[in-house]
Amino acid sequence: MSQKTTNRPASAAALALALGAALTVAASPVLAADAAKEKCYGVAMKGKNDCKAGAGTSCAGSSMRDHQGNAWAYVPAGTCEKTASPTSPTGFGQLKEFKEKKA
Amino acid sequence: MNAGAFAAALLDRTAPCPPGLRSWNGSAVAQRFAVYRNNFAVSLVEALADSFPVLRELVGAAFFRTLADAYVRRVPPRSPALAWYGADFPDFVAAFPAASGVPYLADVARLEYVRILAFHAADAAPLPAAALAAALRKPEQLPALRLQLHPSIAVLASPFAVVSLWAAHQGLTAIAAVDPFRPECALVARCGDSVEVTAIPSAAVRFIAALQAGAVLGEAVAQAASPSASFDPAACLGLLIGRQLLAGPAGQQGGSP
Amino acid sequence: MSDAAPSGHPGRGAPVSLPAAAGLGLKPEHFREVLATRPALGFFEIHAENYMVPGGPFHHHLERIRADYALSVHGVGLSIGGAGPLDEAHLDRLAALLDRYEPAAFSEHLAWSSHGGVFFNDLLPLPYDAATLARVCGHVEHVQERLGRRMLLENPATYVEFAAAEMSEAEFLAEVVRRTGCGLLLDVNNAYVACTNHGRDVHAYLCALPLAAVGEIHLAGFACEADSLGAPLLIDSHGAPVADAVWSLYDEALALTGPVATLLERDRDLPPFPLLLEEAQRAGVRLAARLPMTAVA
Repeated sequence: MSQKTTNRPASAAALALALGAALTVAASPVLAADAAKEKCYGVAMKGKNDCKAGAGTSCAGSSMRDHQGNAWAYVPAGTCEKTASPTSPTGFGQLKEFKEKKA
Repeated sequence: MNAGAFAAALLDRTAPCPPGLRSWNGSAVAQRFAVYRNNFAVSLVEALADSFPVLRELVGAAFFRTLADAYVRRVPPRSPALAWYGADFPDFVAAFPAASGVPYLADVARLEYVRILAFHAADAAPLPAAALAAALRKPEQLPALRLQLHPSIAVLASPFAVVSLWAAHQGLTAIAAVDPFRPECALVARCGDSVEVTAIPSAAVRFIAALQAGAVLGEAVAQAASPSASFDPAACLGLLIGRQLLAGPAGQQGGSP
Repeated sequence: MSDAAPSGHPGRGAPVSLPAAAGLGLKPEHFREVLATRPALGFFEIHAENYMVPGGPFHHHLERIRADYALSVHGVGLSIGGAGPLDEAHLDRLAALLDRYEPAAFSEHLAWSSHGGVFFNDLLPLPYDAATLARVCGHVEHVQERLGRRMLLENPATYVEFAAAEMSEAEFLAEVVRRTGCGLLLDVNNAYVACTNHGRDVHAYLCALPLAAVGEIHLAGFACEADSLGAPLLIDSHGAPVADAVWSLYDEALALTGPVATLLERDRDLPPFPLLLEEAQRAGVRLAARLPMTAVA
C-alpha cells in the first residue's frame, strides 16, 4: 500500500476513453446479463423494533444460561464445518468446543 | 423503585432479583422477573440473528445464540432504533476465542452489517445519462470531475472469500466448493428494494473508496492502480453507471450543492 | 367519547382521528401484498423506531401505503416511565417521522425501556406511586408539547408488581389522563394478561379505566406459562391468534366505549397475510355492528 508516491493523476485523454467505454458497456444488454449472473441479492429485512415479549420465564433464556454457566462441550453444527481450512486438523472450518468460564 | 437495580439485574444474569417486587399470590418474584430478563436478552439475540443470518448459518443456531447473548450483555443497545444494533458485533466475533478456528467469520459479519447500512441508506436520484454525456464533451475537465456515489454504496476488501461465502448461503453455490482463504472484495449497494453484493477487483475498491473520500476522478483513478494490480476504469465506471450507482448532480470541483 | 378534553390542553394539535374500523400492524414482510391487494382495512400501524432510518424500502413502501390508508404511529422506545429525562434526540426523530407521515394517531406505553444510556428493548414495569405519577405526567406533557399533538398512552402487560404501589394501575392511568389530557390506548390483551398475572378482576379494571379517553384499542395473542405456584402467567407474545376470552373482553369494552379504531397486533410467527386480515375483520364486524346504520355505505 505504498504506491501513493508513484501514482500520477490520470490524463484527461485516458479518462475520456474510459468514460466513453463505460457508457457503452453500461448501455449494453450483454453486460447487464453478465452482471446479473455475478451479483447476489439478499432476502428482505424485517423491522427490528416491536413490543412483543417472547421468551417467557424459561425457554431460550435458560438454555443460554446453561451454555454459559457450565463447561459445556459444544458441538458445532454450522455450515462452516463444510468449508475447507488448511489450518484445521480436520481440513475443515471448526469452532472450538465451547468452554467459556463464568464471567 | 430503584430503576438502576432493576436495570443491573436485567444485564447480569447472576445478579439477584431486584428488591421491592411482589406477586399477588406469593409466587416467586424471581421467576416473574425472569420474563423481563429473558425478553431483554432473547429479543436482542433475535435482532442480531435477523441482521447476521449468514453468520448464524455458518456457526449454527446454538453457537450463534451463545455468541450473540455474550455480545448483548457486553454491548447492549445505546439507541432505541435497533436497525443499526450490532455495529461492532463483527469485532466482537473476531475476538471471541471459541470462534478463532474460523477466521473469516468476522469479515462475513462485516459484509452483513454493511448490507444493513445499504438497505436503510438515504435515497438519491441517479445521475442522468445526459450529464455524463455532457461531461464527455469537455474531456479537459474530466480529471477534476467530482462524481457522487449513491449513499448506499459500500466496499469491503477481505483476505477471505466473503462474497462467495455469502453467496453460498443464498443458494447460489455450494459451500463446499468455496475456498474461504481466497481474498475477495465486495461492492454492496442497494438496487430497488434489495441490496446487491458483487465481487469486484481490489483496485475498484480503492477507486470507489477514493471517490467516497471526495477525490476527483483523476485522483481516484490514480489511487486505484497499484504495482500489483492494474485498474480498469472503464469496467468499474461501467458497473457504477449500469447499476445507477452514480448520483446526481455531477459538478466540477467544488460544485456540489 | 372524544369530548373529554380536560383543562390545560384544549384541542391543541391534531386530534385522534383514526376511523372506527379495524387496522393491522404493518410488517415489512407484507408490504408487497398490501400494495398489491389493497385490503379493506381502516388503517395501518407502524412501530415508529423501525422507520427512523434515512431512506430505502421501508420508506418507499410506507409512503405508498400511507397514500391510501390512515396511519397510526406507535412508539416502542421513548421510555416515558424512565427515571431520567426523555431522550431529546429520539423525540426529534419522532417529530420528524410524524411531520413526514402525518399520522392520525401517535401512541406510546406506560412503561420504561431505557436507563443509564442503555436501551433494554422491553416494556418494563413501573411502581404506581405519587413520584412515578408526577414523572410520567411531566414526560407525557413534554412529549405532547414537543410533538404538538395529543398522544395516546397504552396500558401495559406486566409480570411483577411493586410493593411500593400506592394506587391501582387503572387509577394511575386515569390520573395521567386527567392531568395531561392525553388519550388512552386500551390494549385489551394487556388488560387481560395483566389482570390474570396479578389476580385482578378484569371487569372491575376495565370499568375503572378512563374509558372516555380511549382513542384506539389493541388486540393481540398471548402465550400461557405458569408461576412458581402453578397459577397462570400470561406472556404478551403477539405470537398467536386473539384468545376467546380477549374477544369477549373486547365486546365488553366496546359496549362501554362505543366503536373505536381497533388494531390487531402480530409480531411473532406471522401467518400468511390473508389470515391476519381475516382476524382483523373479526374486529371490523363488531365495530360495524355498533356504528349508526346511516354510516353504512
